[in-house]
Amino acid sequence: MSPVDRVAHTNRWRKRSLLEKAALALGMLMLAVALPPFPAAPVVVVVMVAASLLGARLPFRLWLSCALAPAGFLLVGAFSLAFQWDGGGLSMAPGGLHLAAGLAARSMAGVCCLLFLALTTPTSDMLNGLRRIGLPPELAEIALLMYRFLFLLAETAAAMDAAQAARLGHVGMKRRLRSLGLLVANLLPRALDRARRLECGLAARGWNGELRVLSTKVAPSPLALTVIAALEGGVLLLGILS
Amino acid sequence: MMPLLQARGLHHSYPGGVPALNGLELSIARGRKLAILGANGAGKTTLLLHLNGSLRPSAGEILLEGEPVRYSRAALSAWRRRVGLVLQEADDQLFAASVAEDVSFGPLNLGLSDEDAAQRVAEALEALRISDLADRPTHMLSFGQKKRAAIAGAVAMRPEILLLDEPSAGLDQHSTTHLLAVLNKLAEAGTTLVFTTHDVDLAYGFADNVALFDQGQVLAQGGALEILADEGLLKTARLKPPFLLELGLQARRLGLLAETDALPRSRGDALALLERVS
Repeated sequence: MSPVDRVAHTNRWRKRSLLEKAALALGMLMLAVALPPFPAAPVVVVVMVAASLLGARLPFRLWLSCALAPAGFLLVGAFSLAFQWDGGGLSMAPGGLHLAAGLAARSMAGVCCLLFLALTTPTSDMLNGLRRIGLPPELAEIALLMYRFLFLLAETAAAMDAAQAARLGHVGMKRRLRSLGLLVANLLPRALDRARRLECGLAARGWNGELRVLSTKVAPSPLALTVIAALEGGVLLLGILS
Repeated sequence: MMPLLQARGLHHSYPGGVPALNGLELSIARGRKLAILGANGAGKTTLLLHLNGSLRPSAGEILLEGEPVRYSRAALSAWRRRVGLVLQEADDQLFAASVAEDVSFGPLNLGLSDEDAAQRVAEALEALRISDLADRPTHMLSFGQKKRAAIAGAVAMRPEILLLDEPSAGLDQHSTTHLLAVLNKLAEAGTTLVFTTHDVDLAYGFADNVALFDQGQVLAQGGALEILADEGLLKTARLKPPFLLELGLQARRLGLLAETDALPRSRGDALALLERVS
């Protein structure tokens, strides 16, 4: 399983209500997008990093490695805003530096908000939450099954890949391609076979077309919601008044 | 006494024409532990899938308490309510995000309320001694834990008969011991257990009854001791007698164990026997 998945299941705020986490992450995201970037965006970054690392106690290294990829991408994007192409050559755009800094800060704030949600909340919790606010149950079930069987399929593929490598199937580009083709071709019947057996197993437990399970709902704590509202109110005031 | 579940003249062929079941006869007595013993590829899994209606025989019939079963939707669901099935590969059965959620699937399908279902889940997890894994995502479990979670999913429905396909396959010694202890508890509580295995030692140590299975047929069915002591019969099924049984019979031949004394059935019995004769 991926480290992201693991930490989503094991962080300190795993058991907190989805509503609290979503209110914090999405509320802050909206503030970062709607308010002028300074000073709101850096404040949002600070709040979300604190929530991620100090609140949920996400491991710093993992958080950093997840944040670096989008950060690099958006820095390059923002950097190019600072310059303009005027006929003959490249020059600083008027007000470009300010624009670039604003964009970078705002996007970084957004990244921190979404990372917080992704790293503290398991996929299944999020799907259950979406189901509660009106996602058709069929879609949620399919997404959950895909999520579950992705790991099994990846495991099978990894085992087949290792078996091919052990028989020198990866020596040379041509052979590597051929091996990859064989692997993909063999995964399909295996996946279908597995689906058939799953159906058998589910039928044995009285499956009638609906995958209903008891999911534990955690009630949001009024105190936490108040704190979140206060934080967001503070950022809002700061953004409007400055 | 009328058998709880009975198969009469079952025939089944997979596409390709190889017969998997070939006029099979089997009867399952209430409250006993029955081992369906056979070599790999003998058709044991196919048989289990017939016993809960997952597969339909091309000829022959299955009787539940003397009544031939039917394959309508309603009849199948009533049948599966009484006969639970645990597949060999736990990953084929666990689909939900966490162990407790997965186990709750069966009870909810029985139409129980959320509270009753939660109660069943707690009981089943307790019975399998995996209460601490309730919130664990199913893909974060070890092989043995997955197996127990899959069994809990069936146990939570409180079936009268529990069919288990190769319950000990791939388990290490510790997990096997643990699993057998749990299954014994279920049997003591009244569940009829039917399990397939190719392990004669397991069948001898654990089962009350043995059905010897080969080439799509039950060659012989009876008490574990009676079947497993029949070397010729075992040979036909490409199996060898259990080690502890051989040891006990040899001890009798050598006069170390009286004919009236019980044969050793567990490691502890065998060690005690050695102690006595030395």
